[in-house]
Amino acid sequence: MAKAYRALPVLEVKNIVKTYGGVKALDEVSMALTAGNVHCLAGENGCGKSTLIKIISGVEQPDSGSIYIDGKLQEKLSPFSSIMAGIQVIYQDFSLFPNLSVAENITITSQVAIRAKLFSASKAKIAAATIIKELGLTLDLSAKVEALSVADKQLTAICRALINDARVIVMDEPTTALTHTEVDYLFDVVRKLRERGVALVFVSHKLEESLQVSQDVTILRNGKHIISGIASEFDRKSLTQYITGRDVSEAREITSPVMTAKPLMEVSHLCSSGAFNDVSFTLHSGEILGITGLLGSGRTEIAEALFGVRPAESGTIEIDGQAIRVRTIRDAIKAGIGYLPEDRLTQGLFLDKSVGDNIIAGSLDKHRSAFGLLDGEGISKTTQSMFDRLKIKAKSVSAPVRSLSGGNAQRVVLGKLLANQPKVLILNGPTVGVDIGSKEQILEILRNEANLGRGVIVISDDSLELVSVCNRVLVVRQGEIVDTLTGSQITATNIQEMTTA
Amino acid sequence: MLLILIGSFALFTYLQPDIFLNPVNLQNIMIASPEIGVIAVAMMVAMLTGGIDLSTVAVANLSAITITTLYSSLMASDPARAAQMMPFIVLLGLVVGLAGGLFNGFLISYVGIAPILATLGSMQIFNGLAIVWTGGKTLYGAPEELAAVGKAGVLGMPTTFIALLVIAGLVAIFLNKTSLGRKTQLLGTNPVAARYSGINSRQVLMSTYMLTGLLGGCAGVLFLARNPTSSADYGSSYVLLVIVIAVLGGTNPAGGFATVTGVVLATLTLQTVASGFNAIRLSAYEYSIAQGAILILVMILDQASTKRKLNKGLNKANWFKKKARK
Repeated sequence: MAKAYRALPVLEVKNIVKTYGGVKALDEVSMALTAGNVHCLAGENGCGKSTLIKIISGVEQPDSGSIYIDGKLQEKLSPFSSIMAGIQVIYQDFSLFPNLSVAENITITSQVAIRAKLFSASKAKIAAATIIKELGLTLDLSAKVEALSVADKQLTAICRALINDARVIVMDEPTTALTHTEVDYLFDVVRKLRERGVALVFVSHKLEESLQVSQDVTILRNGKHIISGIASEFDRKSLTQYITGRDVSEAREITSPVMTAKPLMEVSHLCSSGAFNDVSFTLHSGEILGITGLLGSGRTEIAEALFGVRPAESGTIEIDGQAIRVRTIRDAIKAGIGYLPEDRLTQGLFLDKSVGDNIIAGSLDKHRSAFGLLDGEGISKTTQSMFDRLKIKAKSVSAPVRSLSGGNAQRVVLGKLLANQPKVLILNGPTVGVDIGSKEQILEILRNEANLGRGVIVISDDSLELVSVCNRVLVVRQGEIVDTLTGSQITATNIQEMTTA
Repeated sequence: MLLILIGSFALFTYLQPDIFLNPVNLQNIMIASPEIGVIAVAMMVAMLTGGIDLSTVAVANLSAITITTLYSSLMASDPARAAQMMPFIVLLGLVVGLAGGLFNGFLISYVGIAPILATLGSMQIFNGLAIVWTGGKTLYGAPEELAAVGKAGVLGMPTTFIALLVIAGLVAIFLNKTSLGRKTQLLGTNPVAARYSGINSRQVLMSTYMLTGLLGGCAGVLFLARNPTSSADYGSSYVLLVIVIAVLGGTNPAGGFATVTGVVLATLTLQTVASGFNAIRLSAYEYSIAQGAILILVMILDQASTKRKLNKGLNKANWFKKKARK
C-alpha cells in the first residue's frame, strides 16, 4: 500500500526560486510529500522554510519552478485553491478564535468554505465530535478555546484541518510549547494521521523529535536545497552539520565556579501555595545552575518568585550573605537579580523601539547626570558596548528590534539585563526559538558572564543545553526539588528520565 | 507635517493673499494656537502611555475659574493686595490643574480604571463643579495684567505663543532627556516588558497624568491671557479637536510613539487651515469637514508609508542575514 503511494507524491514542488527585493529566499528547492509519511523540513531561522510553506499554501507565488498536486501541474496556486486541494498549515499561533468553543473552531472554516449562510451549533458539535472520536482524543467540545492548554489548542487546530479533508498538513514548530508527555501524545496523533493517509510536513528546531517522527527529511540552508533523504539515514550529528554547514559541539564545556564557603545566593524554604513548596538551593559565584522540570512543574514559578513577579509567601533569599526581601520586581533588580523572561516578545522586548532603547530600558536611572537629565554619552557607551560584547547582528543600535532574528533579539534582552550589572542572572528558556548556531553563541555568552563572577540560573527543558553548560542541575517535579544532578550524572537521558519520572 | 503646514500656508496665501498674509491674520493664528497647542501636547503625553486624557479642557476651565474668582473677590476688597498676590493666584490655578491630574493619576494607576473612562468621569466632575460654581455664567474680572501680558509680544510674536514654545520645549526635554520621560515612552510601547524591566508603572502613570493636569492648568492661564473672562463651557469643542491634532502630529494612539514637534506643527496647521477658511470666506462647518478630511488623509498616507517601511525593513533584515552568513 505504502509503495503505491510512493509512486505518486500528493504534493511535489520542483526547482522553486523565490526572490524578495534581490535576495534569493529560495534557490532551486524541491520537495516531494508522500501520503502517510512525515516529512521533516529543517534549517536555521531565515533559511527559507517559512517561504517554502507560504508557497505550498499559495500565499506567495514562486518566481520560477513548478508545483504538482497529485501529479498535476498547478499553474497558479492561490490560498483558496491550496485549501481546496487539501493543504492545511497549522501555524505556531494556531490561528484559532479564542472566544469561540472548540466545536465552533473545528467547524467554522469548513462552514465558511462551503459558504453556509447559517451556522448550526448542534450540527457543528456532531461533526466535531466525529473527528475527535476518530483520532481518539479527549477534548471538551464546549470549552472556550482561550481556556485550553497549548497542547489542546493544537489538537483543535489539527481537528480543524482534518474536517477540511486535509491531505497535507504542515505543522510549524508544533512541539515548541509542549511538555514531553504532550509531545508523545502529539506523536500518537501524528501516527493516526499517517494511517489516514495524510502527508505531514514537520518544521521543528528540535532535531531528535523530528528524526523520531519523520520518514523523509529535507534540509535548507540560506535558501538553498542542501539535501533530501530518508530519515533513517540521518542522525542528530549529520543533521546538525547539514543545517549549520559546520560542526557544532555538544560536548560539555563548563565553567569553574568559586566554591567558597559563602555562596553568592542562598534560597531557603521558599514556598508559594499552589506553585512550589520548600524550595532550597545555593548558587555560587561563577556557577551555572540548571533548573529543569516539565511545563507546569513549578520551574517558572520559582524563577518568577525570585524576581518578584509573583513573590513567594514564605522562605528567605540571601545574596552575599544578606537577606533580601523580594516583593516587587524592583526589589529583585535592586538586590542584583536579572531575569530573562520566558516570552521574550511580550515580556522582554519593546519590539518597535530600537536596539539601543531596549538595552538601556532597565538601567535608565543609572544613567543620570546633572539636573536629573539623562547622560546621553553614558547611554550610547553602554548600548554600544553591549552591542559589541554580545555580538548583536543588526545594522546599528538604532535598528528596530522587530527586524532582528530570534537569537539576536534574545541577545538584546540579555544586554538589557547585563546593563544593570546583576550578580545573579536567571534565564528562563534562553534558547527557545533560536536556531542552532545562535544557540551555541548564547550559551557561550552565559559561560562568559559566569566567568566574570556572576551566578547564572538556567531554566530549561532542553536537556542537551543543560548538559552543555550546567555545573549542577536541579530537577523540579510538582513544585518540589526532587533531585540534584552533579558532574557525570548530568546526561541527557538522566535529565529526561528524572523530569518525567 | 512640516510639509503639510507649509503646503496649507502656501495654498491660502495663493487663494487670498491680501487677507491671509495680513499681519493681523498671522497674529491671530499665533494667538489662537497656544491654548489648543498646550492641551494637544497634554493629550499627546497621555496617548504616549497608551492612555488618553479627556479632562484637560475641564481642568483648564476649572483653573481659569479659580484664578478669576479669587482675583476678583480680592480685587473687590483690596485692589493693591490683589495686584500683589496675582502671581500666587496664577500659581494656585496651576495647582488646581495639578490636583486634577493627581485625581486622574490616582484613578488610573492605583485604582486601575481605564484612562478613557477615568478621565471621562473626572471630566464630568470638573465640568459639573465649574458649572455649579459659576452658576453657568461667564465670570469677568480676571487679572488684567495677565491679559496685558497676553497682548504684549516680542518681535511680533505674542507672549502666549512664546509660552507655548517654552512649554512644548520643556515637555520635549522631559520626554527625551529624563529617565521618567523615557520610561513613559517604554511603558506605552509594551507595559508588560516595562514591568519586567523594573519600571514602576504606577509612578510613571501618576506623573504622566499629573503632567497632563499641570498642562491643563497652564492652558487655563493661557485662556485668561487671551480673554480675561472664564466660564464652564469655554473651549468645549477642544476635547475632540486636540485628539485630532495629537494624532495628526504623529502620535500613535496605541502608545509609545509621539513627538512634541509634530504636535506643535499639527496645531499650527489646523489653525492655519481654520484662518485660511475664514480668509476665503468658508464657514466653520466647512472647516470642520476639512478637519476630518485632513485627519483621514494623513492617516491614509501614514498607513501607506508604514507598509512601505515595513517591507523595506524586512528586505533589509533579510539582506543583512544573508550578508552575515557569508
